[in-house]
Amino acid sequence: MGREVSESCVDSLLTEMVSSYCNRLYANKPELAAPRIEAIGYQVGHQLSERYTMERPRFSDHLEAIKFICKDFWSELFKKQIDNLKTNHRGTFVLQDNKFRWLSHMSVDPSSENGSTVEDNSVAAGESKATQATSMHLYFPCGIIRGALSNLGIPCAVSADISNLPACSFVIRIKA
Amino acid sequence: MIVCVAVVGHQNNPLYIQSFTEADDALKLHHIVHCSLDVVDERVNNPKKSGPTLNETFLGLLYPTENYKVYGYLTNTKVKFILVTTDLDVRDADVRNFFRRFHAAYVDAVSNPFHVPDKKITSRTFAERVSNIVKSFGLSSAG
Repeated sequence: MGREVSESCVDSLLTEMVSSYCNRLYANKPELAAPRIEAIGYQVGHQLSERYTMERPRFSDHLEAIKFICKDFWSELFKKQIDNLKTNHRGTFVLQDNKFRWLSHMSVDPSSENGSTVEDNSVAAGESKATQATSMHLYFPCGIIRGALSNLGIPCAVSADISNLPACSFVIRIKA
Repeated sequence: MIVCVAVVGHQNNPLYIQSFTEADDALKLHHIVHCSLDVVDERVNNPKKSGPTLNETFLGLLYPTENYKVYGYLTNTKVKFILVTTDLDVRDADVRNFFRRFHAAYVDAVSNPFHVPDKKITSRTFAERVSNIVKSFGLSSAG
């Protein structure tokens, strides 16, 4: 039953998708690349949630659905669960993954890291550029989460936060 | 014998409806399916009256009519499956088994990247698979 997908292929596909949207398809309009990548993730999440919820009872509330995302859905996708879930009980959830698989093989460009000899300004600029490049790779998983939850009847907005690689957190805000 | 199966989206929009009779009674069957949607809503909104387990996807017998029995199934994604059968003594296990296979076929159909979510399912493969499942339902309940 279980079909296997090569992990490195998925890694390359993600990197390639981000780079072709950012550098080729929407090189002139960088603000359009992110929504497009997010939309692809949305469709993937939408379809995956249909499959992974097949054999289980319906969720009675939002928290149960979020827990499903943290545990079963994440295990199916990344072979691990979310490490930490926080909520303010008013519709905001923070899912923290201490070793996010799709970022674990990524490193920051050394030219921006060994910037101690350069001016502080350019160090900051280089860092923010690297952060921006990494965050482009998080639009896809954000879309997946949003797609899965909306298919389960929970409209929401999802954003991602990189604290220090490869840890990252996803913030889910449920729309009232 | 199963006379009609239907897939209904979360806004009660028909996604797929197929009858399996020789006679020209499609309209009547569609009407039965239509009526059953209210029963599904009622079951879901009053969970104390719903089937054996709370929030189970299989909703059991929705209502019997003179000639038909109507069964329902509601997925986690709020998609309803309706089954209309003429068999009067159907085993629950058979119906459960039918819905499980039907659900698998549905999931495969909507996972097609060319399928547009919330639009009618036009896949021929899906239609074939459904008619196979429907045919084998008769066999398993006879045997």
